Order: sequence, then structure tokens, then C-alpha cells
Amino acid sequence: MTPLAVAATLLGLVALATVLGTAWKVSTGRVRRLTGDVVRLPEVPIEGRATLLQFSTQLCAPCAPTRRVLGQIAASTDGVNHVDLDLTHRPDVAARFNVLQTPTTLILDRTGAIRARIGGAPRQADVRAALASILAA
Amino acid sequence: MAEASKGIDPRGPRFGAVITGVLLLITVGLWLDGLIIAAFAVLVYITLVFGWGAFAGVQRHPYGLFFKRVIRPRLKPPAELEDPTPPTFAQGIGLVISLAGLAISLVPGLGLALPIAAALAFVAAFLNSVFGYCVGCQIYLLLVRVGVFGRHRAGLEA
Repeated sequence: MTPLAVAATLLGLVALATVLGTAWKVSTGRVRRLTGDVVRLPEVPIEGRATLLQFSTQLCAPCAPTRRVLGQIAASTDGVNHVDLDLTHRPDVAARFNVLQTPTTLILDRTGAIRARIGGAPRQADVRAALASILAA
Repeated sequence: MAEASKGIDPRGPRFGAVITGVLLLITVGLWLDGLIIAAFAVLVYITLVFGWGAFAGVQRHPYGLFFKRVIRPRLKPPAELEDPTPPTFAQGIGLVISLAGLAISLVPGLGLALPIAAALAFVAAFLNSVFGYCVGCQIYLLLVRVGVFGRHRAGLEA
């Protein structure tokens, strides 16, 4: 290979990684509104007006900050609970809800039905906005 | 101060990933340039450092120690500390990819495995260093789902 072709290949590799990283950055933490199944798990009590159900594992760096963000929202919003479920020993739950990354957060309404899903670390303002419209409905 | 139990500066592993990423890119470049043995040697070095990080823990990683002693004192304290387990796991993933690349490239006719493994590891290191992507967040869960980790085991507690 000529030095120019080598340089072009390496630049292409950097460009590819940049495109992948940008795509990931854009999609991660986005709130997707949906109407899904009702969640019935022994670990997840459905109480109050809404539940923030967080899926974590032991090897997930953004899970701890996510726990803090969702915990704050639950503490400061009347009738909203936060449940953090470690999927390490629950591959069945990961398969059932098709969880491909941690943290993944489901916002459940008062009946336990899935109303929104967030893959990756959620942003506080986005979760509050989604919660507000779910609680208003 | 029990710094290890409190967590690490999350910028440490990202700083290390910059160095590793540059070296992986050099590996690919050397291989493409026909300098196969040089590429192999650089990847052996990268693999050894991945192994160090994976087995000794990311707190004892050479680039992490350099960051802690030389660079971190010049920076503002981090917004928050991070559990060292996820970046240690990422070192293990790097170790598996680079070791597989080295081994497969020794098979006659499969030399291409070396730059492919280096390129894959480069993409992971680049995403980690530039975008703060967490490798373990997807791969670990995938391994849990196919039954490699979790279930009846106690997990991967270091």
C-alpha cells in the first residue's frame, strides 16, 4: 500500500468511529414514548401515580449517576417511585423486555403499563417532561 | 484515604483509552504498510497492558497511574468518582479482542485478523475516550443474556 492509501485508510477508520460515536450520542438518553405491556414483577411494586423502573448491571458506569437522577426525581415528585433492578441474575427479565444496554429505564403509569422507554443515561429534564405528560393524562 | 473503595476519576480510563487508541491506529498503519512484525510487536505490547489492566485492576493501570500522578493534579477535581469495575471489565474485553487477533493472525492465510482486531479495539477505545461510551454496558448484558455471567454465579466482583 502506498503511504497515501495507508493514511486514507486510517482516516477512514477514525471517520467511521466518529460517525458511530455521534449516532450513539444522539440516540442515548432519548425518551421514546410508547404504549407497552403491563410490568408484573415481584421486585417491582406498582404503587402511586408512576414508577421509574431502571435496569442496571454491576458493570455499568452510568448506572450509578442514573440511580441518583431518577432517585431525585422520585423524591421530589409526589406519587412517583424509583425501582432499580440489577439484571445480572435476571437474564429472563432482560430477554422479556428486550434490554440491550444498561441503564435502560421504563416509565410505568399507575397501572404498571409501560409508557416510555429510555436507553442509556437519561437527562433529568427529559424524564420530568415525559412524567408530567404521563401524569396529566 | 481509601481511594479504591471510593471510586476513581472517570477521566483516568478515558485518558488511557486515548493512548491505547493511538497505538492501535499505529498497529493498523504498520500492518497496512507491510511492517507485519512491527505491527505484531505493538499489538503484543497493547495486549500486555490490557492484561495488566484487566487482572491488576484499572486502578493499577500504568496509564491510569500516570494520569493520577502527573495530569490529575493539574486538573479540577472530577464532578464525581466512578466505580473501577466497569473500566476494568473494558480492559478485559480489549484483552480478549487483541489476544484473539494475535493468535488467529499466526494461522497461515489469516494474517488479516491482526489489523481487524486492532481496528475493532480502536473503535471501542475511540468511542470510550472521545464520547465516554461504556463498553461494558452493552457487552456485559449480552454475556448475561447468553448465560456467560450472572444466574447462579456471584457475578464478577473484583
